[in-house]
Amino acid sequence: MLTLTSPVETRLHRLPAGGKLAVLCLFSAGLFLLRSPVWLALCLAVVALLHLTGGRDLAWRGLGALRILWPFVVIVTLWHGWTGALVEGTAIILRMLAAVAAANLVTMTTRLSDMIDVLSRVMRPIAPVLPPRRLALAVALVIRFVPVLSARVGQIVDAHRARSPRRRPGWRVLAPAALAALDDADRVAEALRARGGAG
Amino acid sequence: MERSLSHIALFTALIAVLGLVPRIDLAAGVPITAQSLGIMLCGTILGARRGALAVLLFLLLVALGLPLLAGGRGGLGVFASPTVGFLLGFPVAAFVAGLIMERTTLAPFWAATAGAVIGGIGVLYLFGITGMAIMLGKSFSEASVLALAFLPGDVLKAVLAGLVTQAVARARPASLLARG
Amino acid sequence: MGIVLDGVDYAVMGRPILQGISLALDEPRIGIVGRNGSGKTTLLRLIAGLVAPTTGRVAVDGIDPARDRKGVLRRLGILFQNPDHQILFPTVAEELAFGLRQMGQEARAAEAAVMRLLEAEGRAHWAGSATSTLSQGQKQYLCLQAVLMMEPGTILLDEPFAALDLPTRARMARRLSSLAQRLVTISHDPEAVVGCDRVIWIEAGRVFADGTANEVLPAFQDAMQRLGAGDADIDIAG
Repeated sequence: MLTLTSPVETRLHRLPAGGKLAVLCLFSAGLFLLRSPVWLALCLAVVALLHLTGGRDLAWRGLGALRILWPFVVIVTLWHGWTGALVEGTAIILRMLAAVAAANLVTMTTRLSDMIDVLSRVMRPIAPVLPPRRLALAVALVIRFVPVLSARVGQIVDAHRARSPRRRPGWRVLAPAALAALDDADRVAEALRARGGAG
Repeated sequence: MERSLSHIALFTALIAVLGLVPRIDLAAGVPITAQSLGIMLCGTILGARRGALAVLLFLLLVALGLPLLAGGRGGLGVFASPTVGFLLGFPVAAFVAGLIMERTTLAPFWAATAGAVIGGIGVLYLFGITGMAIMLGKSFSEASVLALAFLPGDVLKAVLAGLVTQAVARARPASLLARG
Repeated sequence: MGIVLDGVDYAVMGRPILQGISLALDEPRIGIVGRNGSGKTTLLRLIAGLVAPTTGRVAVDGIDPARDRKGVLRRLGILFQNPDHQILFPTVAEELAFGLRQMGQEARAAEAAVMRLLEAEGRAHWAGSATSTLSQGQKQYLCLQAVLMMEPGTILLDEPFAALDLPTRARMARRLSSLAQRLVTISHDPEAVVGCDRVIWIEAGRVFADGTANEVLPAFQDAMQRLGAGDADIDIAG
């Protein structure tokens, strides 16, 4: 399955994942302490510069990932334009953009396997409750079965369309989709049992 | 053990797949995304504990960088956006919906609809609105105005969750783990 | 030694699926035939220990396959009918390594063993491939290799040719016939069990016939053709 990691290898890719995540935590916490739009703009500029060190492609992807925020930018702008608290509104928008862009940057420059390594290190203290192998197995099963279940739901949608005048699938495809997931779950449990169980 | 694990993993996959399918048509050409419906179904079909774990696993994979949220979104950025409260509320919503399914003796449709309304709307909005209030520097009541736009769609989804759960209860009574 | 079923009954919610099955299987190639719904797949699941009998006893080389899961792993492997129900991992290497990890091998050792196998089979480039992109025949092959990694003495095959086209089917048949393991093949298709040393015909949850392929298969084929000539699929089983 595709991940959101950028395929173009940058210098940021080579930094240790744990370090990047720690810096991200501190940076995000810092953003919430800052009130002044000037400082927040500076933070956003730093994030933008880090994007640019990864090349134009990475920077574009980073910018594209911010698109989901436009409704909030519009709402905050209108709201604060109405109430007149423009400085505060600017700070809110800058903080939001910087926080989301920084987090996206870490995602784009960290491989899934490195993320999973950090995760298993973080989870070590709770290993008696949740054995790392079981979590790894669950993660692998999801990645394996998203395309399988997706194809299955595609078939259900087609079967539905073949006998319906509507273009979009109706809500009636949802029950067979849930049943497909339940059936697959039973078969996976059986296949796991056949190969020694989930440990 | 194997059954628990496989059901959690497959419903995590189901949430993801419901975010991938083209929008689903409600009765009169009103398109909806089915992903949040998947969250509710985790609770009403798998029950409180397994349902919440399936949703947690989903969030974990999103955080690790898989584009599993509707529209191919994912990564750490979504946890820094104003909608983070809704994400964090997802597992709690599934848990509450599952709890209502498990602890009441209502017929599957009514129990699942009630669970989806209380968990998937009541609890979820509490988290979501609080998150928006914090991230956008607004009061709770100011932020809740923004959430109201989604209320009619989510009420419809809750009814759909009830209908789907009822259909599953009829087709595979033994698979409705919430009532196991 | 071998597979022993002793007075086995199996029922689901009071409805009998299998009744009074007593068999001692130790031939190298065993076929089990029957119609859909005859109970043959349930028989396979009982032998594999995926379900426990309602009454009676199942033993694989003297151990109870439903109780001693770890013990049975080295003795018995299953190839499910649909590879998509068997493949649990996103990549080929992970799928192959899983069985070894289950038998207690370290991750690194398991990985190395997987690479050795793929190289020996001329498929080293498969290691990182996504299992969902393999063809049906390749998936079946992967499932077989995953079973063989665990070096079981017996392999249960559930309709091994059902989803394969003719060339793939021929390749699979050739590969299976070269295996040193005991094979138990379950099929509705007499052709799939033609070369077996022993064939057992299951009908309505009981052993209907048991003998060499030459003794059992002609009668089975006759009966199936007679059933096919009538219009018998109107009734819905209660």
